[in-house]
Amino acid sequence: MSGRHTGGQHSHTVEGTDPQLYVQVHDPASDAGLRPVLLLHGFSSSSKLNWEDTGWVAALLEAGRRVITVDLPGHGRSGAPEDRDSYAPSRIRADLLQIAFDAGVRPLQDGDPSSGLDVVGYSMGSRLAWEFGATQPEIVHRLVLGGPNIADPLAAFDLVAAQDYLADGTPIADESTAGLLKMAQLLPSNNIFALLSLIEAIKAEPYDPAEAVPHMPMLLVAGEKDDRAATMPQLAELGIKAGSMAEQLVLPGRNHTNAITSRAFKQGAINFLAV
Amino acid sequence: MAEISFPLPDLGEGLIEATVLEWLVSEGQQVERNQPLVEVETSKSAVELPSPQAGKVVRTFGRPGDRINVGEPLIVFEVPDDTAGIVGTVPKDEAPKRRVRLSAVLDED
Repeated sequence: MSGRHTGGQHSHTVEGTDPQLYVQVHDPASDAGLRPVLLLHGFSSSSKLNWEDTGWVAALLEAGRRVITVDLPGHGRSGAPEDRDSYAPSRIRADLLQIAFDAGVRPLQDGDPSSGLDVVGYSMGSRLAWEFGATQPEIVHRLVLGGPNIADPLAAFDLVAAQDYLADGTPIADESTAGLLKMAQLLPSNNIFALLSLIEAIKAEPYDPAEAVPHMPMLLVAGEKDDRAATMPQLAELGIKAGSMAEQLVLPGRNHTNAITSRAFKQGAINFLAV
Repeated sequence: MAEISFPLPDLGEGLIEATVLEWLVSEGQQVERNQPLVEVETSKSAVELPSPQAGKVVRTFGRPGDRINVGEPLIVFEVPDDTAGIVGTVPKDEAPKRRVRLSAVLDED
């Protein structure tokens, strides 16, 4: 891997309280002169797991792109605030916008390929990217949405069952809830109570992709065996109806966990964003 | 020419094995250090392993779907003889420059 890395907890407050988000800006050894790429990881993951260990940061740097990574609240090296508001998707989007500006992102300008921002999301990160693109058309140039879903699986999460399970081991009846909680508990670095706060905040602000549709070109990518992204064509349809150019890429043999390392995914994204 | 074998590295988090998803290099190919070699999946995540070594790939172990234990061979490189020592150097057969005094000198300090 090459390039300079600056890391640290982001401290520019947007809504009065410090979001304690861990941000890194990676500069390529040889800059292609294109706008930066913001990477948004999935639930219970982190920038390291989702983007560094999988080879994404290295591949983008190799392509000459400047890369911005951010650990979402309660994930990775970010803080785990106690108040639920810190986990609200709307609050996270506001913090992301501030992070982008602090990293030097400028509004899109015709004829200036270094203006604006490209956004790549995976799973829950794709939900945030979709909403971010829909609400920030002045800066978002293109979107790559990996493992996307038309409904947020976290919205159907059974919080009470999860809390009972954590308190005394009462088995969880709902399969999706049990699976998500198991995934969250796999990594000792996860703050399980922060992740439950995030789920609570997501339930309060459910994902409705039809409500605000991004108009910029988007590439939707999912593993052929990704059950969580089976609704990808519906998302593409929403985008096309709204006037976006929505391309789809299906990765043969891959599922929601292992689609992320796919070379075809990385190369597809790099090509799609190289304009 | 010399051959250097690399095992599947410790992937952390107490993981003892990984499943090969896809090889990104093929036998006979010349690779650079840090070039992506292979994608593997563990019970927790999928990762891309960068090459620890520059050299020509002589052999790769495991086809997509195969499991490899941590410590088992993953890849063999062919490298020029004079660079083989990057991984482990054999001490030269000459007199040691430093001596360790085994008995305390009581009258000092």
